[in-house]
Amino acid sequence: MSDEQATAADREQDTTDFGFTRVDREAKAGMVRGVFDSVASRYDLMNDLMSGGVHRLWKRFTIELSAARPGQTILDIAGGTGDLAARFSKLVGPEGKVILADINAAMLEVGRDRLIDKGATGNIEVVQADAQALPFEDNSIDCITIAFGLRNVTDKDMALRSMLRVLRPGGRLLVLEFSKPVSPLLGKVYDQYSFQILPAMGRLIAQDADSYRYLAESIRKHPDQDTLMGMMEDAGFMECRYHNMTGGIVAVHQGFKA
Amino acid sequence: MIQHDPALLIAALAAAERALNQAIALAPTSQQELDALSGTLLGIEITSLDLILYIDIVSGTEVRLMMHCERTADAFVRGSMEDFAALAASDDPAATLINSGIELEGRSTSLINLQQVISKMDVDWEAPLVEALGDVTGHQLAQTLRRFFHWSEGARASLKRQLSEYLLEEGRLTPPKAELEFFYDSVQSLSMRVERAQQQVEKLIAKAAASRKTS
Repeated sequence: MSDEQATAADREQDTTDFGFTRVDREAKAGMVRGVFDSVASRYDLMNDLMSGGVHRLWKRFTIELSAARPGQTILDIAGGTGDLAARFSKLVGPEGKVILADINAAMLEVGRDRLIDKGATGNIEVVQADAQALPFEDNSIDCITIAFGLRNVTDKDMALRSMLRVLRPGGRLLVLEFSKPVSPLLGKVYDQYSFQILPAMGRLIAQDADSYRYLAESIRKHPDQDTLMGMMEDAGFMECRYHNMTGGIVAVHQGFKA
Repeated sequence: MIQHDPALLIAALAAAERALNQAIALAPTSQQELDALSGTLLGIEITSLDLILYIDIVSGTEVRLMMHCERTADAFVRGSMEDFAALAASDDPAATLINSGIELEGRSTSLINLQQVISKMDVDWEAPLVEALGDVTGHQLAQTLRRFFHWSEGARASLKRQLSEYLLEEGRLTPPKAELEFFYDSVQSLSMRVERAQQQVEKLIAKAAASRKTS
């Protein structure tokens, strides 16, 4: 390896994607926090507008795949505004527990208020946590969900290993995330929508086109279906599989701890 | 194999679940009957669509419709869309279940009870209409809807009666029930007489054979 190549590789190791730009690994978390601080108060409204309400269906299917039942402990990482946590709270009942975790305090605050408004209290714990270093005991969680959060994590492999550690043997991980459309035609339409319409909507509704441009870019930089499944297998998950939804715009990946 | 996009099916199930739970909320009698079935899970496989659905009766006021469930269903039924449509519209679900192409695993009573609760559901439209439109308009509209439903029920019964009369009297295409029952009785009686005659013939043959041996 030449000196030039070695320097380039070192630089590559020290940097990571922030949308389409390369930033210092240390800086990404802060920049992502900035995006979500900016959109937190209108996050759900924007999600409804951006997806035409379809994100609720994607989440509903994820909840079905969780097979959550009374008495279980569910960890919802990047749970933000708490819509999955509210549903899980009902499914696990008073003898179960739901942990709503997010790295972003502003999103957690909105989520906590919303859960109280929905009457979902008593079995929900709200924790500010980094997915790469989850502050929970080994083998303590029955099911982990992370919906539209993994692509914002700096080191996804580290986060997957951390999730595996806290899962109980037999426990499952569900990753709901934007992915790669299976049809090239749908892919082109989707690109137009993401890079033209999405930032315009962000400008109109959240007065923040840049944050929504980041969201669109981060989706394109996120690993496709098979790559993410390979990453889960490398982290140690078993029986990994995925379901494409809405033509592969979104996929839900599932893996179990042996 | 048909590839279904989960989002489309989930959308249909979410809409159906919402409509069903809203109807249940407005039908207090059905709530009591449904409560007796709470905890029951029914699985339905529609073979013509290559589709599996689950109905989870959470409580007397809540039913969940799902396309994925890992619990063992109390009853699991498999059949074509036409079979299920016939079962849903049937006045006698037990007979329809036996005579149709539907395959059943588990407890048939759960399925029959649920079918009866849904078919008997008496939705009270007045409360939400009054809430949305006020006492006077809401009540008037509810009365109109009630009259319409009673009329359509009456019209359906009348159509059924008239069709039956036409087939029997005018078209002479089907025999009257009494005539049919008399015919079945006659066939059964003839069958028994033939059986008796056959036994007597066999007895006589055996007797003749025995007398030939002794002589």
